[in-house]
Amino acid sequence: MKLKSILFVILVVLGSTQLCLAGTLSGKVSSAAGSVVWVEDPSSKVEAPAKPFVIDQKGLLFIPHVIAVPVGSTVDFLNSDSVAHNVYWTKIGDNKSLGHNLGTWPKGEKRSFKFDHPGVVPLLCNVHPEMSAYVVVVPTTLFAITDSSGAYIIQNVPDGAHNVSVWHEGMKQQSKQVTVNGATTADFTLTK
Amino acid sequence: MRLKRGMFSFFLVLFLVYPAVTHAIPAFSRQYQTSCTTCHNDFPKLNDFGKAFKDAGFKFPADDETFLKVPPTMLGSPAQKDQFPHVIWPGSIPGITPIGLRMNTYFQYSGQNRNNFNTLAGPPGTVAPFIPQTDFDAGFFSIFAAGNFGSDIAFWVDDDISVSGDNSAGGLGDGYLKFVNIGRFFKLPNNALHLRAGHFELELPFTQARSIDISPYDIYSQFNLGAQNPAFVKQQNVNNQFTMADGANGVEFSGGLHTGGYYWVVALVDQNTSGVTQSANTSVFIPSPTGGANGGVGFASDANFKDMYARFAYRFNLEQDRKSRHAIQAAGATGPRDHTYLTLGSYYFYGRSVQRFSGTDLVGAPAVLTAREPFYRVGGDFTFNYRTLQIYGLFMYGHDTNQLPVDITGTLVPLPLTSTSPAPVGFVHGTPAAFNGGFIQADYMPLPWIMTIMRWDAVNSGPDRINGLGINTATPFVVPFRSTRNRFTPGVQFLIHANIKASFEYQFRPQQFVTVVTNPITGLPVAVQQFRTNTAVAGLEWVF
Repeated sequence: MKLKSILFVILVVLGSTQLCLAGTLSGKVSSAAGSVVWVEDPSSKVEAPAKPFVIDQKGLLFIPHVIAVPVGSTVDFLNSDSVAHNVYWTKIGDNKSLGHNLGTWPKGEKRSFKFDHPGVVPLLCNVHPEMSAYVVVVPTTLFAITDSSGAYIIQNVPDGAHNVSVWHEGMKQQSKQVTVNGATTADFTLTK
Repeated sequence: MRLKRGMFSFFLVLFLVYPAVTHAIPAFSRQYQTSCTTCHNDFPKLNDFGKAFKDAGFKFPADDETFLKVPPTMLGSPAQKDQFPHVIWPGSIPGITPIGLRMNTYFQYSGQNRNNFNTLAGPPGTVAPFIPQTDFDAGFFSIFAAGNFGSDIAFWVDDDISVSGDNSAGGLGDGYLKFVNIGRFFKLPNNALHLRAGHFELELPFTQARSIDISPYDIYSQFNLGAQNPAFVKQQNVNNQFTMADGANGVEFSGGLHTGGYYWVVALVDQNTSGVTQSANTSVFIPSPTGGANGGVGFASDANFKDMYARFAYRFNLEQDRKSRHAIQAAGATGPRDHTYLTLGSYYFYGRSVQRFSGTDLVGAPAVLTAREPFYRVGGDFTFNYRTLQIYGLFMYGHDTNQLPVDITGTLVPLPLTSTSPAPVGFVHGTPAAFNGGFIQADYMPLPWIMTIMRWDAVNSGPDRINGLGINTATPFVVPFRSTRNRFTPGVQFLIHANIKASFEYQFRPQQFVTVVTNPITGLPVAVQQFRTNTAVAGLEWVF
């Protein structure tokens, strides 16, 4: 009984400490929807979710157009169209040696790929050149995608100084130091 | 004389300038928000998906509605089908006006030998028509619209607004409705029967109207002009202006698909004795039933007989993967691609050409004599496609019955008829006028934006050569030195964008001549000092 009480007190103290040291980072990105914001936190270990992320191909579109995934995540590529599609990318980040072609598959089938390298993956379909999408592989679990107003919110960001990066299609990626202390706001203005 | 020489130059220039009529469909790009390359390898050449799209009635072969980014405008709720026949069957029109525009422009170069024809100009001091070595030329500015009205009814209209910068020189290309898969009303297998009606290019083995080549296929523009050189005993009363590339007015039944298996066509079309639509065939006594109120300004044909065209082809898809073999496109390692396939086909056209003469009847009274000369064109074709390499070819044999005019004594009236010729009273059968020829072409795309082309054309026509030997007899066939006119045409095309193309073509043209001597033994004219007038052409084309 005494031991249980001690453990309970320790948990309460640790929990309170955590609450005090973790804040919320929020703000707006000038490029509005579809921007990926992530907090680079080298100290934390990135654990990719077991459940794969999903990108569908429907109506000659990748859906969604942009997703962000922690490094090590698996993405399932579906095909809901009655025409065959393929998915390929020529690089991850600036590393062209990481280019890959998933091949061709018809409606109802899927291909999966585990992204072990961080960076922006520009997805293409070589028979429908107008199709494009992005998988932004981030080296953290602290990330968000902006909503239609450009707003984002990242929970559980440890207090302290962090390097926060923002990416948006067609814009220059931007990084800046942000000191998080509780509820913190950081806005970004991206340029082409 | 000057007129004849002028005609040489005219046809020479025409041959150089006349580009293949080509069409692509930006309207579909807008409706489906997809690139031209979804349907075209090198516009307007269709890839396998483009063929399936066309076969389906200008829509996606399956789940079309999920691909349309611009929904169609409904002309009635689909639920109204239940109320038929008390309501109009509900259809639709495209949500945006499905219009595309096209323009092309050319630069051409003619070899030095073009000046050889200056010797035909006439007496000293006569100015010959000048053929420049280099020349810029405006091509077509065309408008086209196509789409689907629902109920598997497709439409297509295209028209050249201007040709070579002349606003009045354009004309209708194709304009038709296609009722896709009407066999379903008769419980026939899927795609077993389609119906097309209107004005259209015949379902040729290889389209001329939508060819990627700058210059047209020689055999498609071959009309049958019988030998009419007075220096030769052999004479032919054949002046059949029909060419396979002509547009036709009529109806066409077809079945099958272009992406695999069989495909057949039977078309009944107006007789076209002059080679062009006879829109001015009018009578003040028998007005056209259209009465001029619906575009009808007369009768498009001058004969009761309808010409008939038939074609059958079978495409063997040769993909090893069975699943892929039956798909619209093959599943390549890096993405969908055209199938590896072999198509074998044959075609047949039967018609009658009409010639009318002022003559007399058997008692000497003035009469109009009409020669109705049956003719046919028959041939075969093949296509072999492997990845981005396609080799295809066509052979054609043309045959025209020859009815020679005779006078009251039964003697042949020398051709061509002149004001001093004896009055013809009838016709007798002579040696048929025949020709044959075809082409073989190889298209290879080393990169998705580069098309390399090698083509060989050949047209073998004894009458054409005989006519050429009588230099005084104008021939549109580049004064052939030999019976067979061979032409090699390498080319390369670059897609600057999916809708902009730069094309280059070099034509090793058939041998020609301007010098004729008389064979001292036979007394017949002989052509000597042959030469080639090779030409090059560069073009820019864009659609939007």
